[in-house]
Amino acid sequence: MASYHRQKLTAAQQYWVLQRNPVCCGSGRLHCGKLVWEFEVTPTPISRTYRLRIEYQQGATPAVVVVEPDLSVLAEGRALPHVYEQHPARLCLYLPKAREWTSEVIIATSIVPWAYLWLFYFEEWLLSNEWKGGGEHPKATDDRKHKKNLSN
Amino acid sequence: MQALDTKDLDVQPNFTKKLDIMRLLGHLCQELDLTDSQIESAKSSYEAVGQWLSESGLPELRSAIIYAQGSTALGTTNRPIRGNEFDVDLVHHLPGVTTNTDPATVKRLIGARLSEHEHYRSILEEKQRCWRLNYAGQYHLDITPSIMNPSCSNGGELVPDRKLRQWKATNPKGYLRWFETHAAIEPQFVAAFTEARARAEVQPFPEPEEKKGLLRRTIQICKRHRDIYFSTRTQDLAPVSIVITTLTAKSYAHCVNTGIYISEIDLLIDVIRTMPMFIQMEDQSGRPYYLIPNETTEGENFADKWNVDSRLPVAFFEWHRGLTDILGGIEGQRGLDIMGNTLSAGFGEAVVKPAVARFVGNVSAARSADQLSIMPGVGLASSAVGVRVQRNTFFGQ
Repeated sequence: MASYHRQKLTAAQQYWVLQRNPVCCGSGRLHCGKLVWEFEVTPTPISRTYRLRIEYQQGATPAVVVVEPDLSVLAEGRALPHVYEQHPARLCLYLPKAREWTSEVIIATSIVPWAYLWLFYFEEWLLSNEWKGGGEHPKATDDRKHKKNLSN
Repeated sequence: MQALDTKDLDVQPNFTKKLDIMRLLGHLCQELDLTDSQIESAKSSYEAVGQWLSESGLPELRSAIIYAQGSTALGTTNRPIRGNEFDVDLVHHLPGVTTNTDPATVKRLIGARLSEHEHYRSILEEKQRCWRLNYAGQYHLDITPSIMNPSCSNGGELVPDRKLRQWKATNPKGYLRWFETHAAIEPQFVAAFTEARARAEVQPFPEPEEKKGLLRRTIQICKRHRDIYFSTRTQDLAPVSIVITTLTAKSYAHCVNTGIYISEIDLLIDVIRTMPMFIQMEDQSGRPYYLIPNETTEGENFADKWNVDSRLPVAFFEWHRGLTDILGGIEGQRGLDIMGNTLSAGFGEAVVKPAVARFVGNVSAARSADQLSIMPGVGLASSAVGVRVQRNTFFGQ
């Protein structure tokens, strides 16, 4: 099943897939075009298990937060890489200007796998202090522009 | 997205974890290995030395042959912990010499012949019982003379004792045969592991080809741990490699012949745990007498020094406990960083961090090739099954 549809997906449609996808088993709620979904991620059997929460308001961008454990505690004071916010850690999983995620894209088969990958590289970063997952760093205006674009 | 059968959700994650830990240790061993070109270079160097020695006019050196012993012969050499040169232990066997010639004379003759060569003279260093040729930045060749041991029916040899006054029994060729027989014993695993290993769901990344076998890898791990452990303690008390190698080989044979194991990591841990069982101990007038006999020749006790310096057996048991503590706890750990730190404490950051980087590199390679997926119950996998991980670029500060 391709992740791209012609139509923008509603929060209800995104929620439906999140409920059924076996790589993000969890629970949540859906109300008035906003979904919250909490689930556990263990990137590999050697990795920790993390509790994540996705919040998505239809028309905006999905926010992915690591609820547990506290990543800043694990990082022992180092600034976390590739996050929008440090505490709680809100993960940067894609490049907005490259449209790697848009509202036509299924969250469960894009954002969720990227969260697995982020946490996997995070654990190696804890050890080596090097981010092996590649990526880019924003100019300050990028996040605001992206949100503005999606609400148009 | 391929349809997922609910039975796929019953994949036993502990097999995958065991395989992942074994894969991580495998990458660690890859960091310890010498490269093929290092091995080739050492071999052509010592063959040239052998050629030079055999071209000497001296009757004692006539028909002499040079061959590798120790870790070079067994395939258990580790990269050295400090400096760049690795040790190549060589036997220079002299069929033309008998016990009528004392070891000091034989050693002197070899040194004299080596000194006749301008280059060898410049890199020659005399050691207690052997001559060392220093190929700076690469390796040392340690050349020990040996003669035939007429009392040994197993083709054993005699080498100089520490005082260079007498010949003592040893059997490098016999030991090599003995070791290779042990290394060749195939372990048996429970059917569930063997089947699971073959299934993509449990083996999410292909295992690297294993040429050395579990026994050699176990010995490399033990020796590396020893090197790190004693780097902050009294170096002289470190168990010698022949003790570690012999005990591990005996333990391996015992374990694989008497048990069927859940997985390779379980076997490796048990082999290490069981090593001390093969130290023989007798009570001699209230004092312990330690014996680790060389089974390939009479009269060689690898633990002979333990009966002279009582700190040595103590050091061995403490080292052994340190290693079993690390490995015993590893499977219960959660977090690649936690595991990396534990392994670094035991085996040194210099090999563990690159090993972890290789482990992570498997994921990155699959990601670059668009072959990365998330499998329920397993996680990241290089597989067609599961939720494919699409191209993304991490962003943020």
